[in-house]
Amino acid sequence: MKQDNPAGICEELTFSGFFRSHAKALRNFLYYKFGNEEQADEATQEAFIKLWENCANVPPEKAKSFLYTVANNTTLNHIAHKKVVLEYSKKNVNHDTNNQSPEFLMEEEQFKVKLQNAIENLSEAQRSAFLLHRIDGKKYHEIAEILGIGVKAVEKRIHGALLQLRKDIDTFR
Amino acid sequence: MNEDVTLAKWLNDEMNDRELKDFMAQPEYATYNKIKELSGQLTVPQADMDALYQNITRNRNKANQPKVRKLNPWMPRVAAILVLALGITFFLYTTKTTTQLAAAGERDTFLLPDNSEVVLNAGSEAEYKEFNWSSNRKLELNGEAYFKVAKGKTFDVVTPLGTVTVVGTQFNVKARNGRLDVTCFEGKVKVTNGKETVFLTPGKTVAYENGKNLNLADITTHKPGWLNHETYFGKVRLQEIISELERQYKVTINLDAEVNPDAEVKKRFSGTIPMNNIDTALDQILPIYHLQAKKEGNTITLSAE
Repeated sequence: MKQDNPAGICEELTFSGFFRSHAKALRNFLYYKFGNEEQADEATQEAFIKLWENCANVPPEKAKSFLYTVANNTTLNHIAHKKVVLEYSKKNVNHDTNNQSPEFLMEEEQFKVKLQNAIENLSEAQRSAFLLHRIDGKKYHEIAEILGIGVKAVEKRIHGALLQLRKDIDTFR
Repeated sequence: MNEDVTLAKWLNDEMNDRELKDFMAQPEYATYNKIKELSGQLTVPQADMDALYQNITRNRNKANQPKVRKLNPWMPRVAAILVLALGITFFLYTTKTTTQLAAAGERDTFLLPDNSEVVLNAGSEAEYKEFNWSSNRKLELNGEAYFKVAKGKTFDVVTPLGTVTVVGTQFNVKARNGRLDVTCFEGKVKVTNGKETVFLTPGKTVAYENGKNLNLADITTHKPGWLNHETYFGKVRLQEIISELERQYKVTINLDAEVNPDAEVKKRFSGTIPMNNIDTALDQILPIYHLQAKKEGNTITLSAE
């Protein structure tokens, strides 16, 4: 409660820098939960406003966990879940598509659609953990911090997610 | 099986060579690998993060005054209404004027806030502000009035023809039809009519007609005659007497068109005329102007003899 020190998150530059490095991930995370862009944007704003309001009481090293705690609390009030619409990156990094046979490409397209559907059908907990790893490239310990659970629990969710995805995809093969 | 997290280990490239080899040998591996590869290409629909930040900044600035936000929204409104009501009340109170009126044939005696006495003659109007009277004793007069002013600082009687300033005194002011008559009965009176300023001592009287001093003679009474229904006129035209009679007796007096207004009528009259008996009053005036009166109800017509 040292009010005489305006530094930390209360500092405009620190705050905007913190926003730049964390807002996108937070929004993605909220999107995985809600499956709705508007709600994700809104909850992101809310979390950052809450952070600002409490900037004097939150040391910079605790800011991130504060942010996700607020966000997690907010999501508790929004149970209604909509479809998570994900897209595939347009530039295919791993393949030189020109060298692929048409059959292969078609098969891959089909697989992509199946994967999308399978992800949609995951439980919210599994999907969040899985997508944080796959899309945001978060480490397991980072995901644990975001979700407020242990690393072991994250691994279990990821494992469960993979298991479920494979089952879904292979079942409809 | 609950603790099986091998797939998570594999996804995070944490398997050792042997584990990996075993895993790759399984028939499901192909699917798992495809999931890993393709899920890495997934993207989220992007938001305009700059706009998002703008929104936050906007809200954040509001958050800088949390106390203000927490006020009930109607509190400032109630306060504003109260202030407004108070302001209007004060404004009305300070600008509120009291008007005293004496209609034709009537008189009105009233007291000012400092107990100064004012007697309004028939057909006169006085207006003043009660607010702050003691330090701003000012009264606007249209017509004729007698003042018995309480001791104090200045007391102003403002008429369209000039201002009369007095100090603890008794005096009469008559402002009618371009003529201002001021008579002092006690104390000292200052008369300002734009061009000149005159000080009156008891018994002195001054009259301006269209700004010109008529040089009236001193009076001998201690009170204006009209208070006892005996109006004193000093160097007045016939038209002024007629107007006064109309006011006092509440009648209409017409001057016949044949009467030459230039000759007889212009003659000035000085003297006292009773204001409680119209016949006596007419008998007194008419011979002077060689006129005769014809009465029909409330209308009197004057014509040449």
